[in-house]
Amino acid sequence: MAGTTQKRWTSGQAKSRRGTEDPWYIRWILIGVAALFAGVFLILPLANVFGQAFAKGWQTAFGSLTDPDTIAATKLTALATLISVPLNTVFGVAAAWLIAKFEFRGKAVLTTLIDLPFSVSPVVTGLVYVLLFGLRGYFGPWLDRHDIQIIFAVPGIVLATIFVTFPFVARELIPLMQAQGSDQEQAALTLGATGWQTFWHVTLPSIKWGLLYGVILCTARAVGEFGAVSVVSGHITGITDTLPLRIEKLDKEYNSVAAFSIAALLAVLALLTLGLKTWLEHRQQRELDLAQTSSDSPDEH
Amino acid sequence: MSIELRNISKRFGDVAAVQNVSFKVAEGELVALLGPSGGGKTTVLRMIAGLEQPTEGDILIRGQRVNDVSVQKRNIGFVFQGYALFKTMSVADNIAFGLKIKKWPQAEINDRVAELLKLFGLDGLGKRFPHQLSGGQRQRVAIARSLAPKPSVLLLDEPFGAVDAKIRQELRDWLVHLHDELSVTTVFVTHDQEEAMEVSNRIVIFSRGNLEQIGAPQEVYERPSNEFVARFIGVLNVLELRVEHGVARLHELTFPTHGVAEGSNLRIGFRPYAVQISPDLSEYRYRATLKHVYFLGVQLRLELETPSGLTLRTRITKDEFVRLGLAEDKEISFQIREYRVLSRDGFALSPEVSAVHQLPSIAENI
Amino acid sequence: MNWSGLQRVVAGIAAALVLAALLRTLTRQEPGIVRLLNVSYDPTREFYAEFNREFAQLWQQKTGETVRIQQSHGGSGKQARSVIDGLRADIVTLALGYDIDAISSKGGLLPSDWASRLPSNSCPYTSTIVFLVRKGNPKDIQDWDDLVRSNVTVVTPNPKTGGGARWNYLAAWGHALHKPGGSPATARDFVSKLYRNAPVLDTGARASAQTFSERKIGDVLITWENEAMLLLREHGTNRFALVRPSESILAEPPVAWVDRVVTRKKTAEVAQAYLTHLYSDAGQNLAAKHFYRPSNPAVAARYEQQFPPMRLFTLAEIAGSWAKAQAEHFADGGIFDQISSR
Repeated sequence: MAGTTQKRWTSGQAKSRRGTEDPWYIRWILIGVAALFAGVFLILPLANVFGQAFAKGWQTAFGSLTDPDTIAATKLTALATLISVPLNTVFGVAAAWLIAKFEFRGKAVLTTLIDLPFSVSPVVTGLVYVLLFGLRGYFGPWLDRHDIQIIFAVPGIVLATIFVTFPFVARELIPLMQAQGSDQEQAALTLGATGWQTFWHVTLPSIKWGLLYGVILCTARAVGEFGAVSVVSGHITGITDTLPLRIEKLDKEYNSVAAFSIAALLAVLALLTLGLKTWLEHRQQRELDLAQTSSDSPDEH
Repeated sequence: MSIELRNISKRFGDVAAVQNVSFKVAEGELVALLGPSGGGKTTVLRMIAGLEQPTEGDILIRGQRVNDVSVQKRNIGFVFQGYALFKTMSVADNIAFGLKIKKWPQAEINDRVAELLKLFGLDGLGKRFPHQLSGGQRQRVAIARSLAPKPSVLLLDEPFGAVDAKIRQELRDWLVHLHDELSVTTVFVTHDQEEAMEVSNRIVIFSRGNLEQIGAPQEVYERPSNEFVARFIGVLNVLELRVEHGVARLHELTFPTHGVAEGSNLRIGFRPYAVQISPDLSEYRYRATLKHVYFLGVQLRLELETPSGLTLRTRITKDEFVRLGLAEDKEISFQIREYRVLSRDGFALSPEVSAVHQLPSIAENI
Repeated sequence: MNWSGLQRVVAGIAAALVLAALLRTLTRQEPGIVRLLNVSYDPTREFYAEFNREFAQLWQQKTGETVRIQQSHGGSGKQARSVIDGLRADIVTLALGYDIDAISSKGGLLPSDWASRLPSNSCPYTSTIVFLVRKGNPKDIQDWDDLVRSNVTVVTPNPKTGGGARWNYLAAWGHALHKPGGSPATARDFVSKLYRNAPVLDTGARASAQTFSERKIGDVLITWENEAMLLLREHGTNRFALVRPSESILAEPPVAWVDRVVTRKKTAEVAQAYLTHLYSDAGQNLAAKHFYRPSNPAVAARYEQQFPPMRLFTLAEIAGSWAKAQAEHFADGGIFDQISSR
């Protein structure tokens, strides 16, 4: 037997081995196009926001954020968000649970209803609320008699925000929970867990990340909602202006630096949200890795 | 009686998944629910567990009617087909789950978990997560989890379906040993008749929602109550015979008519062991070629092909094979020692009627 | 995260407290403070910001009561609709009488003779329609007729959505009527050409001003006199120049208190005092400071330099009344729709 034979790839074979990968220039062209697209539509406008905000220096920019009307707008946005996000989260989880784990008549109707806020223009949403709760609306006379203000006051803004952010958590969770099936829940039942115990110990942890992502999307939308809120707001400076409305108002007052300063603030919030989501994903990965290394055992069947 | 089903039926809309099933499981028994897919066996298992409600009939566990008792309160352990381990919990937490729900003191929970980890060969894996385990390990965690709260009944749904064949065999043996040690009444669902035969004390055979037969493995093998069971359990050679000139015939094979009219059909079945073969072409009345020989270790599975193209299956030990000097493509003679009439004129026969018939030896042939 | 029951309860309570605090700060009704809501149109922001401060001070001195005036600004018509739909305005200060008429007729919130309750037909100040052009007036725009030249682009808002926009339209219409040989037919022709020179029709006066000033579209902006002068002051004469046409319309933005609201809120006295103050010397001077023409002739006389006399015709002269003007020109199928569809 002659010495060991070494298998060497001929150059032809080497090329064909990489046959499933595109040639390098195609890859770079595609990356370039994607980068260009992102740059023009995402990065440039974002950079412009910050540029305009700081056009008159740091102090002016920060000064505009501490303007009392702006602070009031911040509080209102915070309130609307802090009410609508938890409500829609609870609803979203309940709806997803119902849709994913049960069969019942009218399931398709419920699913469609959940998607309604997506298909309806936000302005239409606002108008519907005016039609319902405005002075000339369906409930108008009753509300007026009892001196309850919904439209053109804080409750109306909160309602409009709840409506437009309605579907986010549910839509995130429904496919997730459907894919997970209900075996784990049934197992929990056989082990004696009540419905609530099952939900808390089994379902919730497995939808943790989807839920978080849904909450993040919901929050982002709640903070940034413009159309629906604009219709029901009444635009009373310092009272019924949310941050996006405030930006519009400042812009109309020719105060573009202040407008962009708030816009920059919202942009920072958005970036922070993205960062938070990425950090959460990292933590999840770390959790898994830690569990891997913490146990030591021979690998067998 | 540990478990008793009385006239259980289950309908999903218009579809009857289970029809009028009744049987009993004794305390400490290991019973298999066997049948092809869609037979209703999983539905029956889930009804025992309380995951489904019977449309009609009663389910009793330890003498108590449990139809209205919720899943949580039936004190059963259930192992799902896909294990259904809690993915976000460690192995130890999975096993401890039922105990946590029952509010056991933490120290006792820890002890029990450790005990089970040891018993199930899962030492040191307590902190791992399900996705870090092999299929066999996950299966054992699932069983450990269900047994942790000391249930009165253990139910398993196709427990070995998702693992490799070799592991499956090991797990089967292990389940048998476990059952011996713990003596928990166990009911498991399978579509693998070999598995049912190997593992269980008794087999309940389902087909399309109906209970076909219930009995110990040997009984259902040797005395199948109808054609379905006969075909499902083990291997069955089936011949469609036609009565001509006073003899029931299929090509060159002839049998008594068993009272079937001229021109009508007769169907018979016989097990592989009923086919006797010999290299001596004059020993038995029929000829065939050894078409295929399948090595299964000690046993060999043989396929015979007659000149008319019929395929018959039989078995022989390796030693016997060697002793007779057999080989593939060799011509042999054979006879059918005993058979059973399955249906006459197209009508299936009840077990009492279709007794096993012995065929006369060649010397006594017509 | 595995939170113990106690931690969860604490977190829940903390969250509830934060929410409650927020709610309180937003809906707090301090005792002893009177709140008025002034629903106004867009360009008056700066004016009322200052006027409200002055009035509050005055009222405090006079009655010891603290009054806080909240402002809402938007397109005049939109604001009127909001008031009709329930926006609780004690006071409305809108761009045209038509909008307040609507609040009366459609909403029933104030009597139909509201205009007669304050002097000068409830118009404490007036304005007119002028042109704002680029520095140096490169296209040499001097009068209305220059706006229909083929090489001129005009920026003006949409009369169907904007209050000031309707003044613009009627000013142009009026001028065409007054030309020798002018008639409704020639006027219609004129406005048709004018609006065809408009590349974009914004929803309101402010939006148009921004289109002209920030997006730098158009050769000439047709706008309120006070807006034009404001823009001039903001951006200096380095960028714009103001051109007064030979004649224009007397734009009369009226004010009123809303009976239903002030009766319910018991703010009738302070609301009326607020509006009356617009007619005082202090109020009139403030208006002039913000480039509105004071309706008080004595005060107006002092500002002749700021407001060079112009030939101004009224709405009544050229269109009869707002109801008629709306029906004829701005309603669906009216003249504006007709000239737009061509």
